[in-house]
Amino acid sequence: MADNVKNQGPQTTGHVWDGTLEEYNNPLPVWWTYAFYATIVFAIVYWLYYPSWPIGQHYLPGFGTVEYTNAEGKTESWHWNTRAKLLKETQDAAALQKPYYDKIMGLPFERISKDPQLYSFVQSAGKPLFADNCAACHQSGGGGKIGYYPNLTDDDWIYGGSYDKIQETITHGRHGYMPPFAEALAPEQVDDLANYVLSLSGNRADPAKAAKGDELFHSHTAACFYCHGTEAKGRQDIGSANLTDKIWRFADVSGAADTASKVAAVRQVIDGGLGGSVMPLWEGRLTPEQIKLLAVYVHELGGGK
Amino acid sequence: MSESHAALAEQYDYDIIKKFSIMAIVWAVVGMAAGVYIASELTWPFLNFDIPYLTFGRFRPVHTGAVIFGFGGSALFATSYYVVQRTCQTRLWGGGLIPFTFWGWQAIIVLAAVSYVLGFSQGREYAEMEWPIDLLIEVVWVAYLAIFVGTLMKRKQPHIYVANWFYLGFILATALLHTFNNLAVPIGLFSMKSYSLFSGTQDAMVQWWYGHNAVGFFLTAAFLGMMYYFVPKHAGRPVYSYRLSIVHFWALSFMYMWVGTHHLHWTALPDWASTLGATFSIMLLLPSWGGMINGIMTLSGAWDKLRNDYVMRFLIVALSFYGMSTFEGPLMSLKDVNALSHYTDWTVGHVHSGALGWVAMISFGSLYHMVPDLWRTKMHSDRLVGVHFWLATIGVLLYITAMWISGISQGLMWRAFDDYGNLQYSFVESVAAMHPFYMMRAIGGVFFLTGMCVMAYNIYMTIRQGVRQADAATQTAAVAAA
Repeated sequence: MADNVKNQGPQTTGHVWDGTLEEYNNPLPVWWTYAFYATIVFAIVYWLYYPSWPIGQHYLPGFGTVEYTNAEGKTESWHWNTRAKLLKETQDAAALQKPYYDKIMGLPFERISKDPQLYSFVQSAGKPLFADNCAACHQSGGGGKIGYYPNLTDDDWIYGGSYDKIQETITHGRHGYMPPFAEALAPEQVDDLANYVLSLSGNRADPAKAAKGDELFHSHTAACFYCHGTEAKGRQDIGSANLTDKIWRFADVSGAADTASKVAAVRQVIDGGLGGSVMPLWEGRLTPEQIKLLAVYVHELGGGK
Repeated sequence: MSESHAALAEQYDYDIIKKFSIMAIVWAVVGMAAGVYIASELTWPFLNFDIPYLTFGRFRPVHTGAVIFGFGGSALFATSYYVVQRTCQTRLWGGGLIPFTFWGWQAIIVLAAVSYVLGFSQGREYAEMEWPIDLLIEVVWVAYLAIFVGTLMKRKQPHIYVANWFYLGFILATALLHTFNNLAVPIGLFSMKSYSLFSGTQDAMVQWWYGHNAVGFFLTAAFLGMMYYFVPKHAGRPVYSYRLSIVHFWALSFMYMWVGTHHLHWTALPDWASTLGATFSIMLLLPSWGGMINGIMTLSGAWDKLRNDYVMRFLIVALSFYGMSTFEGPLMSLKDVNALSHYTDWTVGHVHSGALGWVAMISFGSLYHMVPDLWRTKMHSDRLVGVHFWLATIGVLLYITAMWISGISQGLMWRAFDDYGNLQYSFVESVAAMHPFYMMRAIGGVFFLTGMCVMAYNIYMTIRQGVRQADAATQTAAVAAA
């Protein structure tokens, strides 16, 4: 065996480390060498096709080209580059969308959702638009979250559920406000008001307190009716809530376990008021076409009027 | 027998190697446990428990820091000190610097982990440590370099063994990378915060020049050094080709420095720079494979060793994963493939096929070879080494398969347009689609971690057995002397 290695097998370099470590002096595997050369050839081809080596203030632009449409609508050719590629891909997608968006902009809302082809486009474009822009607050299906974001799937609308109103809301955003009453009213008065508010939607409440609350609601001391109206049905022009239905936007009454915690939930809103109920404006972030389309999409989520 | 051990103990400094070996095992368990935890957080977000210290963002660098620098780093210190002494036939040079590298390095890992959990991070991937810790790394690293070079200079062998070139290349490159990536101006002497000297695209380029070369020199070249000692030593066969080792060492060192920009395809980085990154990555394929060929061909003629020697299996399977991930890497660095793979889990899978399959496996094999020698005994249980091997292999395969499917699905979902030119999926739909694969990845991690715990137990028992045998031998010698 030892003789075999010596006579026919590969030679070692003759060095020995750590008692037993040796190295054969085998040549480079032929396939390895050629494969290495092949990667170099590949690299050279790549350099010739794409922008590569920098030279002074410029670089080798490469033979690859990208065709795109310039601002004047003419087709232009540029050496391969990621900006032109992005422009081209955006333009290609926009070209497919354009006929539909043109129709949407030209038609009144009612006709958009009745046209089966346009309706299908609204669903196709609306889904990612809603999911990527609106769902972070209004949740994936538009169901909202009591105490945080309004539900878009019911037929209760704070600022109105017509196509026009929804479009207005998306375009300019909304800023809801209710003053805090903790300083203006005594704790018993707030308690009375909370009982009255609960009684409006058929919730169990202390009748004596609710009666006192009724009086206070319509008095100039608390002045609740200024915004919520004498019938407490709210006003969509200023975004005050309807207190007579069973839909709760801020106080989680439906989720509260007993009457005491329902009262507490309503009291919290009356005491603290609402200062941060903001929906951002989308004008400038989404195109007017996208906003109009989203108005249709949101209207169709369930509760449009 | 005991006399020759005593002589060997004087010939080589084994104490420092023992310390680093033990800490490598400790950090592996800690780091992999952190990894399993953050993988589970991604699958079941309630695991954040609304506690800021536990969130993914803070725990992720704890995981990467503990496995790369804690486990990988300690394993490299241990094996490099072992290899350089044995192949130079001399004791370590450096006196007090030697224990300083140990305590300094361990302090760095602990300080880094604590600072991440508290919310300190300079936001540079794999270099999240804030400037005071960076300075400590600098000092420890220079001490390491001095020890390594000092030892090489007083070698009793005329030639420097190939493993040492790789270790030295790793130490030098890491010093360079660490220094330039962390050039920053602290906002105050008593503030942890600092501002980088670079900004914008240039900063991104510096970060990935560091990031990819951390992979190239810390996680590749250094572990090739490990491979060049432990594979031929364990197989009892000469290295396949000296010539190949020279060619691929220099090609690897030259090519790696260029490829960082392949992490920045399709970004604000100029296209020409990303082209160069892609092409050097392609040209890096064969130089990378040089190490794999040299390792695997070393075993030719002794394949029977794979049948019942699990240490050999660890080493060879590590080389196979190395070959696979160094093929996958250049592929992913091409502009068009990267357009699909960038920002997806495919990248995460690729990193882990290298980190678990190559880096961890080669370290396991080397530690299983080295630990019994350090404590002059045999492994407590060869069967448990086998159990570890299978747990680790199944773990890696589950992990990378899950990430391939998840990553490619993500990439395809993000770029899918319907006939109207609208995006077919919203982002959140791609997140939902990943859930089963995140679960699979976490399970893969549990397998790997379990294997690691088996190893920790086995190594603990081995050391205990070695210590007891040494005590018994001392007593026998004392009795004989009396």
